[in-house]
Amino acid sequence: MAISGNYSNSLAQQIELRRHRQLKLVIIWGGVLLFSAWCLNGTIIEDTDWSRIGGRNGVFASISRYLTIDLSLFSELIVPTIETFMMATVGTVLGCFFSLPVAWLGAANVTPSKTVLYPLGRFLMVISRSVHEIVWALIFVSAVGLGALPGVLAIAMRSVGFISKITAEAIENIDSKPVEAIRATGGSDFQVLYYGILPQIYPVVLATVIFEWDINIRRSAVMGLVGAGGLGLLFFRQMNSFNYGGVSMVILAILLLIILGEIISHYLRKAVI
Amino acid sequence: MTEQKNMSMQKHKLKWSRYSFPESLWSFGTVLAILVFLGYSLHFLNIDVLVMLTALGKLGGVIADRFYPPEISYVTNPGYLSSILDTLQMSFLGGILGVILAIPLAWFSAWNVTPHRMIFFPFGRLCVISSRAIHETIWTILFVSILGFGMLAGVSALTMFCIGFAGKLFSDEIEAVDIGPVEATRAAGANSFQVFIYAVMPQVRVAFTGIAIYTWDVAFRAATVVGFFGGGGMGWYLKRNVQQLENLRVGAIILSIIAMVLAAEFISSWLRETVNRSK
Amino acid sequence: MSVLSVRNLRVRYTAKGPEILKGIDFDVESDDFLAIIGPSGAGKSTLIRCINRLVEPTGGNITLLDQEVCSLNTRQLRKLRRNVGMIFQEFNLINRMSVMDNVLSGRLGYTSNIRSLFRHFHKEDIARALDYLDRVGLGDQIDKRADELSGGQRQRVGIARALMQQPKLLLLDEPTSALDPKISREVMALILSLAKELGVPTLCNIHDVQLAKEFCNRIIGLQDGYKKFDGGTSTLSDNDLNDIYAMEVL
Repeated sequence: MAISGNYSNSLAQQIELRRHRQLKLVIIWGGVLLFSAWCLNGTIIEDTDWSRIGGRNGVFASISRYLTIDLSLFSELIVPTIETFMMATVGTVLGCFFSLPVAWLGAANVTPSKTVLYPLGRFLMVISRSVHEIVWALIFVSAVGLGALPGVLAIAMRSVGFISKITAEAIENIDSKPVEAIRATGGSDFQVLYYGILPQIYPVVLATVIFEWDINIRRSAVMGLVGAGGLGLLFFRQMNSFNYGGVSMVILAILLLIILGEIISHYLRKAVI
Repeated sequence: MTEQKNMSMQKHKLKWSRYSFPESLWSFGTVLAILVFLGYSLHFLNIDVLVMLTALGKLGGVIADRFYPPEISYVTNPGYLSSILDTLQMSFLGGILGVILAIPLAWFSAWNVTPHRMIFFPFGRLCVISSRAIHETIWTILFVSILGFGMLAGVSALTMFCIGFAGKLFSDEIEAVDIGPVEATRAAGANSFQVFIYAVMPQVRVAFTGIAIYTWDVAFRAATVVGFFGGGGMGWYLKRNVQQLENLRVGAIILSIIAMVLAAEFISSWLRETVNRSK
Repeated sequence: MSVLSVRNLRVRYTAKGPEILKGIDFDVESDDFLAIIGPSGAGKSTLIRCINRLVEPTGGNITLLDQEVCSLNTRQLRKLRRNVGMIFQEFNLINRMSVMDNVLSGRLGYTSNIRSLFRHFHKEDIARALDYLDRVGLGDQIDKRADELSGGQRQRVGIARALMQQPKLLLLDEPTSALDPKISREVMALILSLAKELGVPTLCNIHDVQLAKEFCNRIIGLQDGYKKFDGGTSTLSDNDLNDIYAMEVL
């Protein structure tokens, strides 16, 4: 069917545009695919000793070992579960304490020095998030020895990054009007902070702390791998004694604990905001 | 006149108090319960409060003592550098696989567009929550016991981690989508899959790309450590040197990890900005 | 003796920026309810905020209660500020806190840091707060959160808070601009009656000339940083008004 002259031009343009877009997509996805293939080669294909794994059957056999649950372990699970829960809580609270000065330094409107302390605050936030909790734990084990303490400290340091980042952002977004009002009544710096700034930021900060506490349950479960006790240590022991049913039991306990944490966190956060 | 005022003032004096029963009891009770729990935890876990609070100060001393000067030459030799490349490749592979698998799982876990609320929804949620709940190091240990040491286990563990991480973010994004196009395609007779492809995906495409890049960034952080538990990459060097008490080398390795993670974060935020600007 | 004396007040926000106030002189007597009128950008808000140094003057001097405001150090400034009550255009309340706590915050200048940490105020302060809340008509709202109130109610809380300071001078920064006309009248009448009853001189920055003429006894007209008029309300003529608002387009 003939199309009138005006439309045939723009139709041709549209077809050109679509072709360009499709070409761009093909190039991007093609690049990604090639890159993935290169990575695949560099990692799995070169590195894996397929014969040692035992081929497909060997893998299935290994997986099936985990499919039993060693229920006799139940009574042994209680104390480590409580330990894990406690480590997460103490670590999060400690992390809060460390976060407050960092957030204060890293908030552009209240930082005492924009040129030195503000970048320092931001840098500390980034470092805290970039260092994996296992690495933090190793550092603290060499500083304070084995036990629950390095685990708690590692969790605290890891939490500082997120909590202080959100707190600094909340401080930067406050309404300056109540602050002005408190100043006008003759309030001191502390009173301006306590009456003007704090009421505006504490719901968001509290919700963030609860959120981070939930994540920390997951982290404290593995602190046992560096000697901190809790479910991680139990996992390690069961693994070492090749009690695969026991390992599955511990994993189930971790799962249940985390689900419990998510439920508590969900309802607490609703109550705060 | 003044007598009346005085009387009303006195009446008020008796009426107002900051603390009302029973609301104040709830808030005080909660705070008290938390404090008691914290105190008991410190006792139960055998933590000395003084040591805990002074640990940061001690940290500076310990670092200066044991980890300084870091043996930089150790981390610049080709063997270690190739492990850095391995770590990058592992993180990318785990990221891509995890993100690809996370998309359908996120679709199942989204309450508004899940194909079947009784079957697919719980299944999707369970998969995502389980992947997230299990720490990447535990995944590594599990996969190492099934697949042996090396990067296959590492990539598998990272994939599971990414499924959990990206899956949750994806499903939150899907649940926040504009319901209009979804209703329209449903009304036109499309099945769940078609609704997802034609109504949901176009809306979330840009956000998904950003989330995928963020997931890679976080996966890289995890990838630097999976080697510690047998998953290949930089972490294995860390473990070996920790066990051999080669603290100066450990210091150098930790520094290299921090440097790489900072670089990855820089690249990832630059990429996300580019994506947001262009699309 | 005037309560407040302003001489040659000059304000420039940045070193290279324009001068907002270009040498203002006036006095406030103890029985004054003084209005500052003028077009937008004339410097009214800046002038009000110079009195308690929320904005730093760049030249001239301000004498308040026989003290040189510009030369006070931080501690002395705090002591001065607690004697100056301020009522704001957008109420500037602490939204999450109750009406009672907002009103009590007027006493912060007289409260130590430790007691403010525990939000512990003296019995007399609490009694006085309840009394003022009664007088502004909010006696039954004392435990409501500030953001649950209407605009007019919030400004009444602001009035009670300012009065809690037992101020020797009241500063009003367009207290009715955010309120509708009927409520504006009520609020201005309330402030006037309380100020007269407690004998507090008032300096009011106001946008609505009608309100100024109705409630204030003296008027100062500003235009582009200069004082164009200074006299009793009855002496303000239409010519004077044209002069002040000449540059304003609308």
